[in-house]
Amino acid sequence: MDTGAVIMLLVGVFGLWGTLTASVWNFLRRSAADVRDGTGES
Amino acid sequence: MRSGYVEGGNMAADGDTLAEPRELWGTRLGFILAAAGSAIGLGNIWRYPYVVYDNGGGAFLIPYFIAIATAAVPVLILEYSLGHKYRHAAPFAFRRVRRSAEWLGWFQIGISLIIMTYYIVIIGWVLSYFYYSFGTRWGDDPNAFFFGSYLGTTDSFWSVGGVQWKVLLSVAVAWALTYLILRRGVRRGIELAAKILIPALVLMILAIVIRGLTLPGAAAGLDVLLTPDFGALLDAQVWVAAYGQVFFSFSIGFAVMIVYASYLPRRSDLSNSAVIVGMGNSGFEFLAALGVFSVLGFLAAQQGVGVTEVVESGVGLAFVAFPQIINEMPGLNSLFGALFFGALLFAGLTSAVSIMECAVAGVREKFRLSRAAAINVTCGITALISIVYVTRGGLYYLDVVDRFVNNFGLIFAGLAEVILIAWIARQLGPLQAHINRDSYLRVGWWWTVSLMVITPVLLSVMAAINIYQEITHRYEDYPLSGLLVMGWGIVLVTLLLAFVLQRLRRREELPESIGD
Repeated sequence: MDTGAVIMLLVGVFGLWGTLTASVWNFLRRSAADVRDGTGES
Repeated sequence: MRSGYVEGGNMAADGDTLAEPRELWGTRLGFILAAAGSAIGLGNIWRYPYVVYDNGGGAFLIPYFIAIATAAVPVLILEYSLGHKYRHAAPFAFRRVRRSAEWLGWFQIGISLIIMTYYIVIIGWVLSYFYYSFGTRWGDDPNAFFFGSYLGTTDSFWSVGGVQWKVLLSVAVAWALTYLILRRGVRRGIELAAKILIPALVLMILAIVIRGLTLPGAAAGLDVLLTPDFGALLDAQVWVAAYGQVFFSFSIGFAVMIVYASYLPRRSDLSNSAVIVGMGNSGFEFLAALGVFSVLGFLAAQQGVGVTEVVESGVGLAFVAFPQIINEMPGLNSLFGALFFGALLFAGLTSAVSIMECAVAGVREKFRLSRAAAINVTCGITALISIVYVTRGGLYYLDVVDRFVNNFGLIFAGLAEVILIAWIARQLGPLQAHINRDSYLRVGWWWTVSLMVITPVLLSVMAAINIYQEITHRYEDYPLSGLLVMGWGIVLVTLLLAFVLQRLRRREELPESIGD
């Protein structure tokens, strides 16, 4: 594959899926905290 | 898991009396999957890959990321906050913002329903092709099969040509599936369907990508998709394409996200949910692009031509190029076909359900109907109109309506929304406070600047470009009468009906929330 294409593939993968992973991580942390506080769903 | 997520008391036993309390999502995950299901539609699979290819390849990712951060996610958060704060479908949510703005909600619902009239027909085609995949029943010439045998497309715009019965049958099945999901309610219908269909959809696309990447020619396909042309970034059209892509892809301006957020519990994290839904949608379409271009590379290798000669988008990609690819597969052709059309089916169905739900909730609140009655009325009327596209001339009408609704209706709906909230009603401050009360990611100056300046300016530029192009070039050389009736006419009639609906029962007080 073209080097530029590989670099943009990595940009897409880390940019989009990296941000998604971080936001899902936030969601899980928040859910776990809510369960501990007794204010959220289990 | 918490059960019985309803507000204002116990759920009525039959679930459809006026006194029924409003239903809520069963879990936050359910809301996120349903919202992602709404955003992830057919366009993610058949439009996005071509947009990337056509606008600078890999370099397109730069304006695309900027558009996500400065327009799509901010507007998504805005719509979540509108629905969540006012706890109504779009018409009454806008009426709570400003009494004279109810029409905007009806206009958004009207545009959504017009989209639904043809979207469901495409889902019907997908259902047929899912069946045809078993044994590759489209034969050796998928182009002739689709436009000839299957659609029986007439040779001129106003030749309606009668109903195509096999298309009507599959569209009826698509309507039945949508209706059944809606009738089961928010939690047992929409949320449950999303919890099953969205993970299945992601797995199916992953399987397509993995299979695609192992085929000969895949690397050439990915090169064509991703090799960056940074010179394209100097072209204003590429930036407009990026903003257009994220705006259409995120289901904003449809009234859907407003009603979905109105079903959230009172204390909910809105901004992080918007980022998850937005990035889930974008991550999915990027994955789909890798799958589509790897198999297009394979098709080009099999035919001994360049990849650019086989690149297609939309209907041509799904119903002509993909059947060709499936025909060329070295093995398990039917399984690959079922995976592709199954993925399209799941993506389309979850979006269709969300489009109908925004209308059902709006009609139910306005006319104090039970959920069942509102579903029967909205699905019944929309289903009847959708028969227009099941005729042999239906493809022409679909093409014109789709162009005008997207290029003018949706852009106007989104532009009016941000101008109303940011400039006329000046509600960004109160909404920002509402979002930040319970959200992990706090919105600040970037959110305000995006909604006050960037989004309105970009949408205005898009509207101006689209109007200029429409005036200077007649679309697809269709007759002017066709463009006036099916294009401008439908958008203007929808706007007129929105104002009529605003005037109906305008002196009645708003219910606290649906059914209260």
